[in-house]
Amino acid sequence: MAKVKVAWFDFCCCEGCQIEMTNFGEPFLKLLELVEPVEFREAMSEKTTERINVSFIEGSFSREEDRVRLEEIRERSDVVVAYGACAVTGGINALKNHFEMDDYKEAVYGADKDMPHLDTQDAKPVSAAIKVDYAIPGCPIDKDEFLRVVTQLVHGTSKVYVPTYPVCLECKLRETVCRYDDGDHCMGQVALAGCGAPCPADGIPCEACRGFVENPNEKALEQVLQERGGLSAAWAKKKSQMFTANLRGDA
Amino acid sequence: MKTFFLSDGDLDEFVTNLIAKSPVFAPVAKKTRFVFNQLESVEDLRLDYDTTILPPKKLFVPTKQDLVTFEHGKYEECLAPGKKILFGVHPYDIKAISMMDWIHEESNFDIYYHSNRKATTIIGSNVQNHYKKAFFGSVCKELKVMGHDMFLTKIADGYLVEVLTKKGDDLLPDGNFTDVSKEQIKNAADVNTKADENCPSKLKNTSLEIKHKIRMYYDSDVWKKKSENCFSCGSCNIVCPTCYCFDIQDEWALEPTSGKRYRRWDACLTCEFSEVSVQGGSENFREERAERFRHRIMRKTSFLNDKLGGPACVGCGRCSGTCTADIADPVSIINEIMEK
Repeated sequence: MAKVKVAWFDFCCCEGCQIEMTNFGEPFLKLLELVEPVEFREAMSEKTTERINVSFIEGSFSREEDRVRLEEIRERSDVVVAYGACAVTGGINALKNHFEMDDYKEAVYGADKDMPHLDTQDAKPVSAAIKVDYAIPGCPIDKDEFLRVVTQLVHGTSKVYVPTYPVCLECKLRETVCRYDDGDHCMGQVALAGCGAPCPADGIPCEACRGFVENPNEKALEQVLQERGGLSAAWAKKKSQMFTANLRGDA
Repeated sequence: MKTFFLSDGDLDEFVTNLIAKSPVFAPVAKKTRFVFNQLESVEDLRLDYDTTILPPKKLFVPTKQDLVTFEHGKYEECLAPGKKILFGVHPYDIKAISMMDWIHEESNFDIYYHSNRKATTIIGSNVQNHYKKAFFGSVCKELKVMGHDMFLTKIADGYLVEVLTKKGDDLLPDGNFTDVSKEQIKNAADVNTKADENCPSKLKNTSLEIKHKIRMYYDSDVWKKKSENCFSCGSCNIVCPTCYCFDIQDEWALEPTSGKRYRRWDACLTCEFSEVSVQGGSENFREERAERFRHRIMRKTSFLNDKLGGPACVGCGRCSGTCTADIADPVSIINEIMEK
């Protein structure tokens, strides 16, 4: 069987998901028996201009000039996979969407803020610029999910099952003591599952890094964060901004 | 049925002997809650638990379970039931297990469930502390607590032990069981009656009255109102001892020659549960929150009663306690409708 040609591309992000991939160890090396990386900035210096079977895109679409590069990747890729929170939902970059552009530009770039190469826009998911075939969310991605999705893709399965229910369900399946039963708050009720709920199991509230489920009950979340989680009204309203700026009702 | 007494001191020896014999799964503490886990030492045993996060059915149907593995065109069933002892099951969970026994054979004999079930000896124990949402004293009175092999009731200085089956009999050599007095038998009966009476929450009507009236409210707007804050997270389903739906997926291994088929507990409150493929596309037959919310209550109060001989709810209160929006409590929903 000919190896599947795969490439990794990054946009507005910390490249942490690429690093996460190099942390995989054995399963990733095993995956290399089936795929041939042709471009992967964090791990190799070669680049390609040839046709790619599967392109993995990391990072959000946050500058109009990135559109051309994204379109060009789409053009020469059979399958495009957005991976990591930034590429799938806009991720943490989209926090800036809640602020005035001039304010955050000044805070970050100071006197240089109006220089043309620092032009920016709201951080959007990759799907705002090009068609994305599969999404692997998370900050960072979950290596087991990445391998599961890629394995199914490489073996030619067109439908890849990914859960659409919230993290709460995964907590229950592994009998994690609910953060609320431990006197804490959490956003697992509206956060998209698939990660296996590792954070609450370690005593950390879910921050919904994979984004919201479809039709998240934001009103109920706000209420529960206040009434049971002990957050102030203002904080409860803002709480889900970190990873879901593009998915909230006020987006 | 044989009845014995087991002193507090002798319980430790009995459990230690059982652990030496086969894996023993019993309630142990997990932060502010309890779970059924394999006992490493009798010191971890918490017969004073209120309830566990997941019901003990997880011993028979693991939350995620491989069914079949395949490699190079050959397949193998993943049946590997090992003998085990399920220790300290509360009466309401025993009722639920007997429902599950029936559910897993009435239309299709579920070999995976029953091979685990058959390999398990069940030792029940009385409720020493109530879960904050428990209402087992006022629901499903029609069904007897049955199907277990031994039952322990905490009385002064020890336990009254009822031995109900051959499997239970087989454990007698492992403990120093002594004779009981009539008074001890009466005391134990009182303890169990009081546990029913002292539930923090109560239904006010019989199962039959509830079954009929709730069905009449199928088209009521009460479901929409009650489910306004529902997250569709499915937690109420997953912690329920009488929910048994599962999803099946096939998965390739990294090598293109092998893979597996597994099942995972599913939840009808989630949106994806009712999504089905229709002529190349998909359709959701319970698209609205309120429909899914109603469905669970209907299943628990009305739909399964004829099949099971009583409602498919044993009053453990887990659903109510797990719901962060605090809208899943069957008692508050049922009592509100019954008062209309």
